[in-house]
Amino acid sequence: MSFVALNPGYNTETPIKMTRRALAKQHTRERVLSAARRLFTERGYEGATIRDIAQAAGMSTGAVFASFADKSELFDEILTADYEVIYAQMKQAGANAVSVEEGVIGMFAVAYGFHVEQLPLLQASIAVSWTRSETAERRNRGHLKHIFTLLSDVLIRGVERGELKAAADTKLLAEIIWDVYVANYRRAIFDAWTVEALLSRLSDQLKVILAGARA
Amino acid sequence: MGVREEQKQATREKVLEAARDLFNDTGYDETTIRAIAERAGVSVGSVFTTFASKAEVLSHVMETRLADLYAEFDRVVPFLRGATADRLSSIFAIHYAFETRRVKLFLAHIAASYSPSNDPGVTPYGRNVRLNSMLREVLDDGKTRGDVRLDLDSDLTINVLKAAYAWNYRLAAANGAQANELAAAMDQQIVFIAEGWRPR
Repeated sequence: MSFVALNPGYNTETPIKMTRRALAKQHTRERVLSAARRLFTERGYEGATIRDIAQAAGMSTGAVFASFADKSELFDEILTADYEVIYAQMKQAGANAVSVEEGVIGMFAVAYGFHVEQLPLLQASIAVSWTRSETAERRNRGHLKHIFTLLSDVLIRGVERGELKAAADTKLLAEIIWDVYVANYRRAIFDAWTVEALLSRLSDQLKVILAGARA
Repeated sequence: MGVREEQKQATREKVLEAARDLFNDTGYDETTIRAIAERAGVSVGSVFTTFASKAEVLSHVMETRLADLYAEFDRVVPFLRGATADRLSSIFAIHYAFETRRVKLFLAHIAASYSPSNDPGVTPYGRNVRLNSMLREVLDDGKTRGDVRLDLDSDLTINVLKAAYAWNYRLAAANGAQANELAAAMDQQIVFIAEGWRPR
C-alpha cells in the first residue's frame, strides 16, 4: 500500500527480530506522531511547538528530537502517512475508469473524502507549503509527483482511447486540473462545502478545462 | 474628521506601512505585533485597538496595496487590445509584476488564508471582487466581438483561470521564479483553456 518507504522502523516484515530498544523507540515515535497530529489539527502548524507536542505526548523535548530532526520533519511524516493511506485508492479509481472525467473525479473523490474529514490539518499543510524551507519543499514534492503521475496516466489513457486529441498537452492539462482541485478546498474551508458539492464543482470545471482538448 | 479620528487614521497608516515592510523583509511568522508597533513608532496597545490580530493587519495591508493596483487597472483596461486570450494574459502579467515586487508578503498572504485560525476581520486571499469583475468584462467583451463562444460559462471559466493564476505562485515559492516566468506559465494555461472557448 505504501509508496514512499520513509519509515524503516515501521517495516512489519521482521517484527520478531526487533529488540526491546527498537520497540520502545517505535512506541515513542508513534506517541509523538499521534500527539503532533492532534495539536497540528487544533492549532495549525505555527501554533504547535515541539514543546507542546512533547508535553502532550508525555515526554521531554529531547526525547522528541531523538526521533525527529525538527518540526517540519515531524509534520511531513504525518502528511506522508496520510498520502500512503489514500494513494492506493486513488490509483485504483484512476485505473478502473473508462473515461477521463470518471478517472479524474474518481481519484479526487478519494482525496476530498479523506481531507474534508480533517480539514484543519489540510489547511495547515497547504499554509506551510507556501512558506516552507527548500528541503521540506523537496520532500513534499516527492509525494505530489506520485499523485501527478496518476493524473497524467488517466489523461494519457484518454489520448490512447481517442477521447482526447493526440496533440493534447497532458502535462499542462494535469497542472490545471490540479490547480482547480486544490483551489476548491477554499470552498470547503470558508463555505463548508461537502464532498459532493466539491466534486460537482470539479466536474463542471473539468468541462471547461477539457473543452479544447477533446478529440 | 475630528482630531481623534485623524490620529487614529494616522496610526493605522503607520502600522500598515511598518507591517508591510516587516512581513516582506523578515517574514510574516517571524514578525510580532510588538515589532510592528516599534517600527511604526506607536504603542503596542494602539495597534491592538485598531486591529484585532496580526492576520487582520496582513489582510488590511493587502487591501491597501490592491487599491493602488486597481487604480492603475482603471487606466489600463480600456486600452487593452487583441484577442480575449491576449487581454487576459496582460491582466495576469500585470498582477504578477505587481505582486512579485514584494513576493514574500504575497506568499504570506496566500499561506495565511489557509490558516485554521482566521478571524472575521480578515478578507482571505481569493475573495478579490475587482479581479473577478475585470475578467468578466474581458470575457463578455470577447463574446460581443465574437472570439468567445456565447454559451461559455464565464463564472466557471474565471474560477479556473484564477486557480491557475494563484497556483503559479508556487513557482515563486519553490524556485524563486520571477514575474515573467509566472506570466509565461499563465500564458500557456490561458491559450490551452481558450482553445475550448473558441466559437465553432
